[in-house]
Amino acid sequence: MREASRDRLKAFLTLLPSIILIGIFVYGFIGNTVWISMTDWGGDGALALEPTMNFVGLANYSDLFTGFLSSGFRQDLVNAVYYSIMLLVGAIGLGMFIAILLDQKPKGEDILRTIFLYPMALSFIVSGTIWRWLLAPQGGVNVLPTYVGLPPLTFQWTSSTKAILEFNWQNLIQIFLYIASFALILVGLWILKNNQKRAVKYWLGPGIIVGLIAWFGGGLFPEALFMEETHGFNLATLGIIMATIWQYSGYTMALYLAGFHGISQDLRDAAMLDGASNASYYRHVAIPMLKPITISAVIILSHISLKMFDLIFAMTGPDNAQTGHPALNMYMTTFRANDFARGAAIAIVLFMVAAMFIVPYVVSQYRQRTKG
Amino acid sequence: MANVEIKKVVKKYGPVEVIHGVDLSVHENEFIVLVGPSGCGKSTLLRMVAGLETLSGGEISIGDRVVNNVSPKDRNVAMVFQNYALYPHMTVRENMGFSLKMRKKSKEEQNERVMEAARILELEPYLERKPSELSGGQRQRVAMGRAMVRKPDVFLFDEPLSNLDAQLRTQMRMELRKMHMRLKTTTIYVTHDQIEAMTLADRIVILKDGYIQQVGTPIEVFEKPNNVFVAKFIGNPPMNILEGVCNVIDGKRFVVIGKTRFPIQDGVAAEIVDGSPVLAGIRPDSIKMGQNVERLPKDWWCHGEVVVSEILGAHSLLEIIIDGENDLLAEVEGRIVAHPGETVRIGFEFDRMVLFDPETKMALY
Ligand SMILES: Nc1ncnc2c1ncn2[C@@H]1O[C@H](COP(=O)(O)OP(=O)(O)OP(=O)(O)O)[C@@H](O)[C@H]1O
Ligand SMILES: [Mg+2]
Repeated sequence: MREASRDRLKAFLTLLPSIILIGIFVYGFIGNTVWISMTDWGGDGALALEPTMNFVGLANYSDLFTGFLSSGFRQDLVNAVYYSIMLLVGAIGLGMFIAILLDQKPKGEDILRTIFLYPMALSFIVSGTIWRWLLAPQGGVNVLPTYVGLPPLTFQWTSSTKAILEFNWQNLIQIFLYIASFALILVGLWILKNNQKRAVKYWLGPGIIVGLIAWFGGGLFPEALFMEETHGFNLATLGIIMATIWQYSGYTMALYLAGFHGISQDLRDAAMLDGASNASYYRHVAIPMLKPITISAVIILSHISLKMFDLIFAMTGPDNAQTGHPALNMYMTTFRANDFARGAAIAIVLFMVAAMFIVPYVVSQYRQRTKG
Repeated sequence: MANVEIKKVVKKYGPVEVIHGVDLSVHENEFIVLVGPSGCGKSTLLRMVAGLETLSGGEISIGDRVVNNVSPKDRNVAMVFQNYALYPHMTVRENMGFSLKMRKKSKEEQNERVMEAARILELEPYLERKPSELSGGQRQRVAMGRAMVRKPDVFLFDEPLSNLDAQLRTQMRMELRKMHMRLKTTTIYVTHDQIEAMTLADRIVILKDGYIQQVGTPIEVFEKPNNVFVAKFIGNPPMNILEGVCNVIDGKRFVVIGKTRFPIQDGVAAEIVDGSPVLAGIRPDSIKMGQNVERLPKDWWCHGEVVVSEILGAHSLLEIIIDGENDLLAEVEGRIVAHPGETVRIGFEFDRMVLFDPETKMALY
């Protein structure tokens, strides 16, 4: 007993320096940012030696989401969400596809793997510059068709003002409820097979109720803005999405390929003898077995896309309205406009969005560990 | 159910030939065991029957069909692997039903067949568990269940029991035997454990370095080994092999090893004449002690000094020196107690002695 507590003390003392440092430089500064985001630090006297800072509560946040002049930030946020989703689907899908091809042991697998992984080694500034050239209105990709005698493309890759999948920000609450309902039903369907009762009681039922409330109660919710404001998927972000997928699919490929190689030959043989074709081997055996890899890829890519800065900076500059991103917005707001409080609020919003992706992962990992 | 014909099968990995023209007929409903030391090509041969390795030469047919170019999934064979190869992300039920799902069988049929296999293998309580939540023996049974639900033409087993502890192995051996008696599916079973081979097989195939040494029933390969390798490989403890010369004394042939003389039965190995060098093989269990000696002819008796004795309960292993120079291992009844240093009377069953040519190592009958 006494021995054990001595060990604990030693362990604690060993860890103490890192605990203190992380406490100050990570959590302390997050706390400080939260505090700043609730003040009015900014404007004229912002750079004074002792700037005036008054507590204003959640005013900065409510301005970001409902303020008349913050529609730029809202579009950036919408961009970031679409960007994350497209990057996840694109990079994981493409990476997995290439990994499956390479798993067939073609000649020169090693060389191909290196080639596919290579874009990862480039800095975002470099790849951003390359893609900026490639996507220039009168060059690169747009002139490709002329090599086969077709007219050139005219798409404005990084400055098109077209948008699809638009929605009205006024209906924010309703949209939120729809998303919540969708998520609940999705989880419900997921666990329906294992635990029917719980799935219906805690997930499917509430999901449907929330969905119905959103559907019928649409008119009753307070509107977020006093006027219509549409946001959607800006086609100008396609170029950036392509560039990021190009750069990251090699990485997901490497993750999956390592996973595929780790599956024992016996298991593959067993599936073959059980009558699985190559396609059903991947669909029913290999990919489900690599669920942990998929989860890690989702976490890594989503936080990369939420923090994306340099690539967009290099491709379109920091203040291109069509391709804006909250991280760029935060930088411009904080260090160009000296609006520190508002910049801090944007940082915290980004932090919360990232947490939405990561916390469920950490919780599920933790549960698995305590269970196993 | 089907027979399997293996004709002149050759396997090469690059320039290295590991199976050299193997011929083997497995009859319908037969339980064939392939044994041999590590690296002799047992798994390779089995995997060629399964279709997991291509043939470099020869022909394999299952039933009436030559399967050289038939993919594994269309051969209707099921295989149980040494490390079980269960799908870790699926429950026991899903593992067993996977092959039926792949063959697009109806849900009812899947369920029915899985339940039937689970009942036979006593896996019903574990159907919803993942393989990682099962013991080794239970995993082994799931692997067997997965093979069973398919009702294949041929079962292939690659050392399925070698990851289990001794007691469980004995138990699973019995269950395998029972399963075969019930299902009667043609089976090819690979092991390097000769006890498994003896207890399970209808016929044993002994392989060495990619060549078949002998094919025969367990009694045949035990009593009438083709060569020194089989004689030493089958049977535990292994056969005593003594190097001697044939001498004719008073018109009778003897193997003479120093001062020791073993009589050669009349009509055995006519090619051995006065002066031929010869190897004499004597099974440890053909050496008798105590009461059992009385039943043997008087001139088969002799005396020996016990060097070491190991008591195993049912029987004891003794190292005995006869005539002060020749070392022999004897397996005698457990009730007989012999102390090291003691001189005891022993008797040989010389009618079971096997003679080998020292040049070719082949048996002479
Ligand atoms: N993929 C391969 N490439 C080259 N040689 C191989 C390959 N697979 C097996 N071999 C060789 O073929 C021979 C037979 O191997 P096999 O796996 O059939 O042996 P085994 O009898 O099953 O042995 P064990 O009892 O250890 O499982 C061995 O000498 C091995 O080195
Ligand atoms: Mg093997």
